[in-house]
Amino acid sequence: MSTLRADTISKHFGGVHALRNVTLDVRRGEIHGLIGPNGSGKTTLLNLLLGYYRTNAGRILIDDVDLTRASVQARASHGIARTFQQPRLLGALSVLDNAMLGQWTNTAAGFLEACLALPRVHREERQAREHARELLYGVGLGQIIDRRAHLLEHAEQRFLEIARGLVMQPHFLLLDEPAGGLTEHEIEALGEIVTAVRDCNIGVLIVEHHTDFVFRICDRVTALNLGSVLAHGVPKEVRSDEELIRVYLGA
Amino acid sequence: MNIGLRRWGLTAFSLLIVALLPYLTGNLYQLHILTLIAVYWILIAGLNMVVGFTGLLSIGHVGLLAIGAYAFSILAGQHSMDPFLALALAGVMGAICGLLLGLPSLRLPGFYFAMVTLAFALIVNELSLAQKGLTGGGTGLSVPSFPGALVTPWGYYWFVAAIAVAVTWLSWNIAHRMWGRALISVRDSEVAAAALGVPIYRCKLIVFIFSGFTAGIAGALFASLQSYITPETFVFELGLFFFVCIIIGGRGSIVGPLIGTIILTALPEIVAPLARLSNFFYGALLLLVVLILPEGISNLAVIIRERVRRGEDTENLIEPDTQRLRAAIRSRRTP
Repeated sequence: MSTLRADTISKHFGGVHALRNVTLDVRRGEIHGLIGPNGSGKTTLLNLLLGYYRTNAGRILIDDVDLTRASVQARASHGIARTFQQPRLLGALSVLDNAMLGQWTNTAAGFLEACLALPRVHREERQAREHARELLYGVGLGQIIDRRAHLLEHAEQRFLEIARGLVMQPHFLLLDEPAGGLTEHEIEALGEIVTAVRDCNIGVLIVEHHTDFVFRICDRVTALNLGSVLAHGVPKEVRSDEELIRVYLGA
Repeated sequence: MNIGLRRWGLTAFSLLIVALLPYLTGNLYQLHILTLIAVYWILIAGLNMVVGFTGLLSIGHVGLLAIGAYAFSILAGQHSMDPFLALALAGVMGAICGLLLGLPSLRLPGFYFAMVTLAFALIVNELSLAQKGLTGGGTGLSVPSFPGALVTPWGYYWFVAAIAVAVTWLSWNIAHRMWGRALISVRDSEVAAAALGVPIYRCKLIVFIFSGFTAGIAGALFASLQSYITPETFVFELGLFFFVCIIIGGRGSIVGPLIGTIILTALPEIVAPLARLSNFFYGALLLLVVLILPEGISNLAVIIRERVRRGEDTENLIEPDTQRLRAAIRSRRTP
C-alpha cells in the first residue's frame, strides 16, 4: 500500500501562519475527507500537496519519494491528479479531446515523432482515445463526447475533470470541492464515481464543505481549524468531536 | 469511416488543385503570386503553431524570414554552395535563431513577449543594413535560383508548393494529436496544463524552434523567388502581415490561416486599385474580423452549427456506469 503524505508541514505567508505542523496521509484505496471552516488552511494544504506552494517546514512524500521541491508537472507524473474548484477545461476542444489530454504524462512520443506521425504516435493516440472514451461513458458523459467543452453544464464540467484526471492513470486523485454547485442527484452520482475510483486502488482526497457528503462516503476524515489538525479518524469519531462541532459543524 | 473517407477525398482534391493551379493562371505574374502565397504559407504554417495554437503573440517572424533569406543568399550565392543544401541550412539557421530568441523571451507574459519579437525584427533589419561585408548593406544581394527544371516559374512553383504541402502535413500532425492538445492547454489555461503534467516552457520553446525552422526555409525560398534582396524587402509590416493572416483565419485552425494567407496576399494584387491601399485593406479587414468574428473565419461554421444545435440539446441527466468505469480504470492500471 502506498501513501501520499504531508509530513508535519508548516506554511506561512508573511506573518500569517496558514498551516502549523500538519500531518495528513492519503492511502491508496481510501477516500479521505478534508474539512474545516473557511481560512482553516484546506486550500493551502491542497496547494502544497500539488506543488503550487513550497513548504516552510516539513515534507511531501509518496512512500519514500520526496516530492517537497518537485514541480507541479513532476507531481503529475508521479501519479497525482486533481480537479479544480472552478473547473478548468479547454473550451475550444471537445469533451473527448479534453479527457485525452490526461494521457500526456503517459505519452512517450516526442515532438519530432509527432510531426512525422510515426507508428508509435498512432498507437498511443488510439489507446488514449479508447481509454478516454470508456472513462467518459463510465462517469456518464458518453452522450456528449463530441460537444465542445465551453457548452457544458456545470456538473458536466466537474465530471469531465474527474474523467480527465482518471485518464492520467493516477495513484491519487485530489478533488477540490467536487460537490460545489451540484444537485442532490448529481452528488449521488459523484458519490458512486468516487467510490468506484476508490475500489480501483486509487487514493482520493476530497476537500469539501458539504460535510454530510464527506461523512457519508469517506473512509477517514481530517478536520483543520486555524491551520492545525483539529480532529482526524473515521467519520464517526470526527463527527462527534466536540471542539469541531463547536467551531464548524454546529449542533 | 465515412468521415475518414471524406477527409481523404478532400485532401486528394486539394492536392490536385494545388498541382494544377499553374495551368489555370493567365500569366507569369499570377504564377509569381501563387508561388509567393506558397512561400508565405510555409512560414505562416509554422507561425500558426506558435500564435494560433500556443497563443504566443510573435509579430517579429519577419526577422527569422530575413535570416533564412540572407543565409541562403550568402551560402548559395557568395560561397556557391549547392542550393538544396543551402536551403536546408537556412532552415537550421532559422531554428537556431528561434531557439536563441525564445530562450530568454518565452518566460515573459504575452505583451512583453510581443515587444521582444518586435525588437528582434528591428534589430535584424538594422544589422542587415549595417553588415555591408556580409549582406551587401543597403544595396543588397542577388540571389541564385535553383538548378535544373526549378529555373522555370512553373518548376519553381511546384517545388515550393510541394514543400508547402509537406509543412502543412507536419503542422496537421502536430495540431490534431497529443501535442496539439497540449499546446492549446498552454494557450487557454496554463494552470490546467501544469496539473496535467504539460511542461509549459518546453512546449513553447519547441514549437518556437519549429516555427523558426519553417521561417528559415521560407526565407530561402522567398529570396530565390525575388532573386534580389535588400533590407527593405523585410520591413516590419511584413511580420505584422503574417500575424494578421492567422488572426483573421482563426486561432486553433490550419485551414483558416491558409485562407487568410491566400486572401491577404492575393486580393490586393488582383484587385488593382487596392494594391496601393494594401495596408488600409489589411487594417480594415482585421477590424472587421475582430469586431464581427473574433474567432476568425475558420470558426464561423462551428459557431453557426452550435447556435443551431443549442435549441435541440436535451437535458442530460448524468448517470454514471460504475461497472464500465471500474473496468476502464483497471484496464490500463499498472499495479
